[in-house]
Amino acid sequence: MKNTRTVNLEKNKDSYSLKFNAMASPCEVIIQTSDEELAVKLGKLVSAEVWRIEDKYSRYDQNSLCSAINNNAGQSVVIDDETFQLLSFADQCYQLSDGLFDITSGVLRKVWSFQSQYNSKTNFPSAAQINTTLLNVGWNKINFDPKQITLAKGMEIDFGGIGKEYAVDRGIIVAKELTNQPVLVNLGGDLAVTGARLNNETWQVAIEPPDIDSDLVNGHEKTIDMIVSLKSGALATSGDSKRFLIHKGKRYGHILNAKTGWPISKAPRSITVVAPQCIQAGILATFALLQGCDAEEFLTNQEIKFWARR
Amino acid sequence: MKSKIDKINIKSALTVATVALLGTSSLAQAESSSTSSVQDSSWEFDSAFLFYSEVDRVSAGEAILNAKKTFDNDEVLNLKLTIDTLTGASANGAVAQPTVQTFTRPSGNGQYDIAAGDTPLDDTFHDTRVQLNGQWTQPLAPDYTVSGGFHLSKEYDYLSLGINGNIAVDFDRKNSTFSAGFSYFQDTFTPEGGIPNPLTSMLIGNSDASTWDDSFAQTRIGSEDDKTTTDILLGFTQVINRRMLMQFNYSYSMVDGYLTDPFKILSVVNNTGKTQDYLYESRPDSRVKQSVFAQSLYHFDSSVLDVSYRYMWDDWEITSHTIDSRFRIPLGDGFGKESYIQPHLRIYQQSAADFYRPFITDDEALPAFASADYRIGEMTAITVGFKYGMLVNNGHELSFRLEYYRQTPTNAGFDEPGVLNDVELYPTVDAIIGQVTYSF
Amino acid sequence: MMKTKIQRMLLISTLVAMSGCSSLGVEPWERDLLAKDEMSLSAEPIDAALDDHIYFSKEASSGGKGFGGGGCGCN
Repeated sequence: MKNTRTVNLEKNKDSYSLKFNAMASPCEVIIQTSDEELAVKLGKLVSAEVWRIEDKYSRYDQNSLCSAINNNAGQSVVIDDETFQLLSFADQCYQLSDGLFDITSGVLRKVWSFQSQYNSKTNFPSAAQINTTLLNVGWNKINFDPKQITLAKGMEIDFGGIGKEYAVDRGIIVAKELTNQPVLVNLGGDLAVTGARLNNETWQVAIEPPDIDSDLVNGHEKTIDMIVSLKSGALATSGDSKRFLIHKGKRYGHILNAKTGWPISKAPRSITVVAPQCIQAGILATFALLQGCDAEEFLTNQEIKFWARR
Repeated sequence: MKSKIDKINIKSALTVATVALLGTSSLAQAESSSTSSVQDSSWEFDSAFLFYSEVDRVSAGEAILNAKKTFDNDEVLNLKLTIDTLTGASANGAVAQPTVQTFTRPSGNGQYDIAAGDTPLDDTFHDTRVQLNGQWTQPLAPDYTVSGGFHLSKEYDYLSLGINGNIAVDFDRKNSTFSAGFSYFQDTFTPEGGIPNPLTSMLIGNSDASTWDDSFAQTRIGSEDDKTTTDILLGFTQVINRRMLMQFNYSYSMVDGYLTDPFKILSVVNNTGKTQDYLYESRPDSRVKQSVFAQSLYHFDSSVLDVSYRYMWDDWEITSHTIDSRFRIPLGDGFGKESYIQPHLRIYQQSAADFYRPFITDDEALPAFASADYRIGEMTAITVGFKYGMLVNNGHELSFRLEYYRQTPTNAGFDEPGVLNDVELYPTVDAIIGQVTYSF
Repeated sequence: MMKTKIQRMLLISTLVAMSGCSSLGVEPWERDLLAKDEMSLSAEPIDAALDDHIYFSKEASSGGKGFGGGGCGCN
């Protein structure tokens, strides 16, 4: 079920905001300009690119390439260069994370259902259920090349871990092709900028504390306790603030260890990472979370700028 | 034990993978900083050298090294080392005469002559001072910050020890802040030549004579004295809007002890303005000062204006007004990386202390207190200058400051009998200030 | 009698002025300009310390923004 695909224009003091919904998130493109026509054009361009990626890689969309691949598990499916590059990237992530990050782990959602804390239905799986499902997880069972991909029967791929960040980076690329004005692309909290604002000023980004459920924002006083000044590059936040479940008093985040099928324990509630590209930031944040209690140490060793909240 | 990711550089492996995915055109650096406290526990240093020089008078050089370390939880340690040195001549308080004048040095060891018509200046001052400050600041509870520190300053004839404490409370989304602080200083003064007997004559003669030392000792009442300074400071800061911030302070200060300047004298003149005698000055042994201060910072599109006003009044009948303003203009990267220029203007005006007088006349009774030190007389002063700063080497700031400071003492309503009409009783003092600062 | 009336009026006007303060201020995400170094009240502490020392030595006033304090034998 698609949301209505409209782009709303908002005029600010020294910039325009283009707002739209995509990938189940509120999205915003900010351009620092007084040229309204340019802003509208940019909004159309970026939103079109984001929706294009959503239509192609969303597993919720039956017409997407992702669904085509998943529905034809066991058979070879033709892919294009962009998809091949994304799969290669996912492959790199699988290698670098030693198998913890695996885009075939999406099937585990069938036994785990992480709802907002206000949904009373909690589905806590048994070890047997998880083990059965794990048989259908494993990037090493995939076979792909520049022209095609073949999944084993029962397997699925899910671009959820990299799709939004990829869309942010693509959004920046198309924005730079259109204009030299400072632009910020924000898809649900994963964002990137084309460069510094005018007069070499920084973009001010407010980071939400992990306790706030986005569903409650309107009726709830939003307390932001951190502002990040971004001059260039991207920022991505990974965490369980929005999707988790509570079982017997313990909180289980939705980031699953692809090898065991269980949520990562002792992970920080949220990690925000700064990196040159959004996809890099997002992966590093996820990699860090996958380290559980060693998350901060991992990022410090890699000399990456980050903020973790426990 | 979970499998740890190999310490092979994940960051660079990912960069390679990202380039493959997005193309090299999107390769950029990421630059960011955060305005809340995060893992930044490195030392920040500021080093500065200042040069102050008055025309024909005092010159001073001062060097500062400041080290600041921010710990987790917003705790800050600040250590500062200051070294300064003073040379040159200062006015000794006597008035100029159409004839040569002779004075005894403060130590008693020798005399010096002043040419006819010249303002008497004593050039025996050269001293080096070392100062150490330490300050610790930390949050006490959300919205409560406390700070405490010490001060130690030593020069050849002076020792100062001090402590301070302060508490600040934030309100309303940290838009308003109340603060209250106190400081206490204990100073000991051991002037060369000892403490002179106030309002008694300066002994002038031959320092090499065998009787000199005894006679000189008779003019002294002690070798050292001290004073304490207690300050209370109340402040209120308010964010007005996105561009503007204001601060209001009230301070109350009590100084007790030896407040006289043992090196300063007054001329006693007759009705034709000719000097008959020199007397050591005398000031009260306590002073209570109060001040109110207001400052405003305003951010225009790219430049920032800083204007402040202070009004001070005390129980010596001195009142003063100070207006200080700075205007910071960013110059972009054209004149040096992220450079700026900041013109500065300061205007100061003070009224004379009630016991200030440029000289004493020999036909009046000796007052209880008297001083001819122009620094507590009526005066206006203006400072004009500018500062230029830029980034060098990895974001370190280098800046230069050049200022012109002109003090103009004025006549607070005293008659100028006889020959005093023909000499300059209120000479202007001009000074140049130059400073280099490097932060790393 | 008159004095207490004036005191009460002063107190009331101060409270009114302070309640007006709640309309002043910014939300945390509007602190972009205020967060800059040059908008800090203690923006140039080294310059301030050096200047304070000069003016404490050459003039009769000191402090106001910070402590006036003793500290050296220059006045």
